[in-house]
Amino acid sequence: MGGDLLYMIKKGLEVKNQMGLHARPAAMLAQTAGKFNSEIKIEKDGVEVNAKSIMGIMMLAAQHGAVLIFTFEGADEAEALKAVEDLFVSGFSEAY
Amino acid sequence: MENIKGIAASPGVAIGPAVLYKPAVLDVQHGKFPPSETDAELLRLKTAYEKSRADLDALEKQIKETLGPDYARVIDAHKTILEDPNFKNSIKSKIQKEHLVAESAVLLALQEISITFDNLTDEFFKERKNDVSDVAKRLITNLTGGARYAMEKAAGPSVLVAHNLLPSDTLNLKDNNFIAFVTDIGGKTSHSAILAQSMEIPAVVGSSVSSKTIKAGDMLIVDGESGAVIVNPDAETLAKYRKIQREIKRSELLLKTINDLPFLTTDGKHVTMMINYDPRLDSKETKKLKTEGLGLLRTEFLFLDRALPPSEEEQFNIYAATAKKFDMRPVHIRLADLGGDKVHSLNLGEYKEELNPFMGLRGVRILLKYPAIMQTQLRAIIRAAAAAPAPVKLIVPMISSLEEVRAVKAVFNDTLRALAAQGVTPKNKIDFGIMVEVPSAAFALDSMLPEVDFVSIGTNDLIQYMIAVDRMNQDVAVLYDPYHPGFIRIINHIVQTCAQKGKSVSICGELASDPEIVPLLIGLGVHTLSTSPRMFLRIKNKLRSVSYDACANLAQAALLMDSSAEIKNLSLSLTTPEGEKTLNENP
Repeated sequence: MGGDLLYMIKKGLEVKNQMGLHARPAAMLAQTAGKFNSEIKIEKDGVEVNAKSIMGIMMLAAQHGAVLIFTFEGADEAEALKAVEDLFVSGFSEAY
Repeated sequence: MENIKGIAASPGVAIGPAVLYKPAVLDVQHGKFPPSETDAELLRLKTAYEKSRADLDALEKQIKETLGPDYARVIDAHKTILEDPNFKNSIKSKIQKEHLVAESAVLLALQEISITFDNLTDEFFKERKNDVSDVAKRLITNLTGGARYAMEKAAGPSVLVAHNLLPSDTLNLKDNNFIAFVTDIGGKTSHSAILAQSMEIPAVVGSSVSSKTIKAGDMLIVDGESGAVIVNPDAETLAKYRKIQREIKRSELLLKTINDLPFLTTDGKHVTMMINYDPRLDSKETKKLKTEGLGLLRTEFLFLDRALPPSEEEQFNIYAATAKKFDMRPVHIRLADLGGDKVHSLNLGEYKEELNPFMGLRGVRILLKYPAIMQTQLRAIIRAAAAAPAPVKLIVPMISSLEEVRAVKAVFNDTLRALAAQGVTPKNKIDFGIMVEVPSAAFALDSMLPEVDFVSIGTNDLIQYMIAVDRMNQDVAVLYDPYHPGFIRIINHIVQTCAQKGKSVSICGELASDPEIVPLLIGLGVHTLSTSPRMFLRIKNKLRSVSYDACANLAQAALLMDSSAEIKNLSLSLTTPEGEKTLNENP
């Protein structure tokens, strides 16, 4: 599946929550990514991590305004992108 | 006596002897097992995972019931860490490939991750290492079957002093007789700090060397308000803090006694009391307050530290969520009162350094110069008024002329019409209000009132502009004086002008939170106050302990006086009946 060129979406998303991707949003992101079979990677400043790993996400130390490059690869990549995008657009449903 | 300075992580004051925290030693048998037993070792790991999952579920349930769902999310983060594929795979591979016993494998995986976290420069994310080690510790205790989180119970009410505290340790503090804690490291946002706040245990973190300099049995004062830790205080300091403790207790008592009572003076005059609300600082205490609405939502915070102004969607989400918290009570949203320095940081245009920013491009001036910001904000506010049942009201900052009022109102009406065409209409009419904080607006108010629904007095700026004093300037700060006869007269003028035209007037500035001057303001005819959440009940208590008659007499006398000292003395004479004392805000 990984080598199949049919699949792969790349998308940059901006962190809009005031506090950045701290533990709670990181947990929400890892949980959401974990629901899909696709491989989901996040890249920031040359560091790439597994989006299903909360620790990987936290290690990005993504603050408010940071742009993360997501790569989705697999049969359900479109659905995965939609779910992840929804999280970012809603600011991880944070009302502060 | 020694004074250690740390970070105030959870409010309150506690006094008690120090107990030094000994972290539970993880009894890990480092070692290898024969390759033939790999499956058995993986099964041990699996069982430990299942037990840890069950632990966390139980803990989550317990926190949900005791502290509420917001805090249970801390445990949700722990559950996600437990299931982290990278962490799990790292442990598994150490078992499968290196044949390390499971607890060794967990410890090693933890150490590898800790190193990566240590390399982070951001303190906030660095602290998350604690959450990972808490989870690893839980796994290891479930593997070894060892005593779990063996924190010893203190003999009497004590203060826990530690280099660092894990969130799970923090949860057990109250049961173990600890009334406060002090740590060397950590910040306001660490999970331990958040849990301390929810359990209402005073805490000071980031005090760097406390755990090394403080000895077991030292008498400690933990001042969770200012972040001070006082070791072996002298009698005078001790007495001072005992008094503060009593005052805090009194405030808590007020919460229990007067929170549900009406906002009436002793002779039955109603004064509307609202709060200045900041969605970023919502606390358990604020949620408990019974208020008559949101008197001032400052929106500047949305524009801080960012390269582009916040989108309509982001603003709408925040305004709507905030308005929903106030059900059917009024919610006053103020358009952003930004300074000229934001022009550059928000990429609006070229910023020319201003010689005198307070007299420069700020408030409504910046909104009229860059109308796109104002339109976006107005759309978000109108949409929030269409989504939430609360009556939303608009306040425009820094008005100095009728032309500005008309210009903003034209944009507001256009925006209303444009949204109405898209089927978005507010549930209630959005009242249009202005801040009166520039003296010219106060004096020309009669000409503006036909255009506006209400007036809000910004006392800080009004005093500053009237007396021409910058209170950040130490040489002149003393001139900043709310009892200045000129200021009392201008408040009177604003109130009288509004009364003639039947418009309501409120005070949302700092003065509304000052119990000493509130009776004078009420006497002058200000019948709506919006205070900081912290001072809300104390102001309410003040209101309930004075008669409107006495306030009105006080105001009439004050208007005839020539000096601020006279006015102040007269006000104070009224504000200390029946043992009503002002509480120390910052000891």
